Amino acid sequence: MPPLVEARGLHKSYWLGEKEIHVLRGASFSLEPGEMVSLVGPSGVGKSTFLHVIGTLDPPTAGQVLFEGRDAYAMPEEELAAFRNRSIGFVFQFHYLLPEFTALQNTAMPGLINRYSREKAEEAARQVLEMVGLAHRLDHKPGELSGGEQQRVALARALVLKPRLLLADEPTGNLDEATGEGIHQLLVELNRRLGIAAIVVTHNPRLAERMPRRLRLSEGLVIEGSGEEGEVTSSGAISSPPGPGT
Amino acid sequence: MKFRKRAFLVALVLLGAAFAGQLVLRAFLSNRTLLSPDALLAISFGGEALAFLLIGFFVSFLARGFGAREMGLAALLLAIAAFIALRQLKPPSFSYDRFFASTEELVLWAALTGAGAWLLGMWGASAGVLLGAAGTPDLRFGYEAGIARTHLRLNRRTALTLIALGLVPPGLLFAAGVLASLRYRRGAETSALGVIVAAGAVVAALLLVARWVQARAALARLQPGQRRKRPATVVMTAISIAGVAVGVWALTVVLSVMSGFEADLKHKILGTNSHAYLLKFSNDFSEWKSVLPKVAAVPGVTGVSPFILNEVILSHGQTVTGAELKGIDPATAGTVSELPRQVIAGDLKWVASPQDIPTSVVEPRSEASKQLEGPEYQQYLEDTLKRRQQHPEEEKNKLDPQALKALPGVCIGKEMSHQIRAWVGDVISVLTPLGEMTPTGPVPRSRPFRVACILYSGMYEYDSKFVYIHLPEAQKFFRMGDNIMGLELKFNDVDAARAEGRRVVSALGGFPYRTKDWAELNRNLFSALKLEKLAMAIILTFIVLVACFNILSTLIMLVLEKTKEISILKSMGARDASVMKIFVLEGLTIGAIGTAMGLLLGFASCSFIERYGLQLDPDVYYISNLPVNADVGQFCAVALISVALSYLATLYPATKASRLSPVDGLRED
Repeated sequence: MPPLVEARGLHKSYWLGEKEIHVLRGASFSLEPGEMVSLVGPSGVGKSTFLHVIGTLDPPTAGQVLFEGRDAYAMPEEELAAFRNRSIGFVFQFHYLLPEFTALQNTAMPGLINRYSREKAEEAARQVLEMVGLAHRLDHKPGELSGGEQQRVALARALVLKPRLLLADEPTGNLDEATGEGIHQLLVELNRRLGIAAIVVTHNPRLAERMPRRLRLSEGLVIEGSGEEGEVTSSGAISSPPGPGT
Repeated sequence: MKFRKRAFLVALVLLGAAFAGQLVLRAFLSNRTLLSPDALLAISFGGEALAFLLIGFFVSFLARGFGAREMGLAALLLAIAAFIALRQLKPPSFSYDRFFASTEELVLWAALTGAGAWLLGMWGASAGVLLGAAGTPDLRFGYEAGIARTHLRLNRRTALTLIALGLVPPGLLFAAGVLASLRYRRGAETSALGVIVAAGAVVAALLLVARWVQARAALARLQPGQRRKRPATVVMTAISIAGVAVGVWALTVVLSVMSGFEADLKHKILGTNSHAYLLKFSNDFSEWKSVLPKVAAVPGVTGVSPFILNEVILSHGQTVTGAELKGIDPATAGTVSELPRQVIAGDLKWVASPQDIPTSVVEPRSEASKQLEGPEYQQYLEDTLKRRQQHPEEEKNKLDPQALKALPGVCIGKEMSHQIRAWVGDVISVLTPLGEMTPTGPVPRSRPFRVACILYSGMYEYDSKFVYIHLPEAQKFFRMGDNIMGLELKFNDVDAARAEGRRVVSALGGFPYRTKDWAELNRNLFSALKLEKLAMAIILTFIVLVACFNILSTLIMLVLEKTKEISILKSMGARDASVMKIFVLEGLTIGAIGTAMGLLLGFASCSFIERYGLQLDPDVYYISNLPVNADVGQFCAVALISVALSYLATLYPATKASRLSPVDGLRED
């Protein structure tokens, strides 16, 4: 049985005026269903880009992303969008909730995009919001919620259609330590309960340490393990030389 | 994107079929129906345009996208085929100096066909793409509509504000019209409902102003930081709505006024003229007495009356003028025209019984006093009435009252009466150049007539040109025996005059009879009016077009503002077509709200103009009030044009938005 996600030799480069910037230089890795990994690396190393490429948002310059052996970027736009809708959930550093909609409506949005009826989408949203502990905040708009609550709504939105892969881009990066800790625990708990595979990008070494599998992005390559203890400094800089890719 | 051969072939076949269909339809309609040439062109080209739209829509599903290249190549080939086909068919030229269209004209037609096919096809294809032509069709608009609504801030509060702003200004205009009509008792009748609506509008306006003052006061009490900021796009949205509303307003009001002029003209022409003339390809129509009952028996014919029409010279004292002399039968003239109701002094019947024309002073009829207002007319009345009492002409000609009574009667128009200073009872001379041959050469024939009545039709041309005498007198005067020129006809349905006329002719066995309907008789007048209206419509549509550029820029601003949101939606799996739907819906909403407001304003303005009765200089326009004719069909056409243009305005920003990459909005932070 093929792994849930397999990235093969991902290259990604941007043009900044005349200069070509290589962000990914043949990054490869694979993820089994239900597996939870942390991804660390200094700022600007391309963690978000890596996540976007894995999450089918940004086609790589070269290389393949296979979902259960199927090349994601070979799908037509519409199929890819439907795949993203049902199989991948995103959580970003900023909650990116739609400000005019309530928590319930925001969480119901993926269901509505999947053309569920309003009732069905809102029922699913209510269940997930209860799961993240926001049963009492359903009709509040994002502006009326605290930072932690906003991020919980974002998490609920990512999970409402029970995806098989959750991609979290510094979900706690914008929160104070205690709140961030709460979100993190929730992530771990949901992974355990729902069996959703997750890649969590984080700057927080303590949170990264608690993950069963740790990855590090360096020089455009994915490196297994975060290195020896203490090598990831609190500022997020990596002191060890880049190791070979997996 | 690869070139899809199947889509191209289907497009080519369908476009060819649409073009051929247009040619066949036009030939069929012109042979089998009695439609006017304008209606023929409108139906056949309108049908062709609709077909091009639908073909574009259909082909977009085969091309899995706009299919610009497939449709483009097909349209190019269509243009070439059209040129070849038109060259074989030799269509009539649109220019006046040649019969068949020249090669340049054919090239132009072919190019227009090709370009029209492509543009309309792309327009149709945009709807196809919107509904998921690129993949599986998806006609649902659920969450897209919800998001569009939040972009436009269309919550209950703004909806109420919009309704208030859309209803109150037209309501006030309407109320002003009602007030004017109550005060001056002019124009349209005002029903109790109208008064209630007007009162409601005034109350609503007062409430709105009170609410606004209250809101301003509440705002003034807030600290600077407490005020809610309004994003620029909301202001731009409001401006776009106002722009469309103003354009639609102008378009509806101007078109309604022009329709009013047209209707007024039609009313006046049909007041003096019948709906059609039954004529003969011969000078001998002496069998008319047997034809008349046959014509009257044709269903749809409501009135028949014989007539003779000839040009004469009229003189009274020292003044001479040219005139159209019409011999009529006063007994039946009322069934084909409004002549008996146009009399402002005297009586139309007196042309047949001139002995009834009194020798004493005839005062103008009471209802005519309004038409004879103004110092100029007072002077003229005094002149003619006073002189009538002294009878200077008759004394000079030594006519005794008995001989006077024996003279035949004539009815003249108000302007002519003014011009030659003749009033009821005056003797005027009618002169025809068709005179006797004498040893010294041809001598014109002249006869005295007594004025039996003064007519006022409202058309300067008619009031200054037409004079009416009894038919037997005309026959005698022109030495025609029992001959007439033709029969005047009136039908149930004025607008079907042409078809009704053909029915009458076929009932009489066709040749040598023929009819000429009112539209044919006044063709130059009505085509000038129609051209003017068309030109106005095109010019004013540009206002709406410019307003749609507002929509365009507003949507571009919105797309820029919502880039992040678009990315989030795409990361959640929203399709490209869905993103496009959001922005198309927004533009259409702006266009529809603006159109609705403009239509209401236009309707209220028309009602105001009608009730208030804006004064015009009657000496220039020969019409006392600005005429207005608010036609429902015209309003619908304006609404359709406006919404169609707003849809076009959404296509560029919506397509841009749908093609944004999901990471465009995520990257910046």
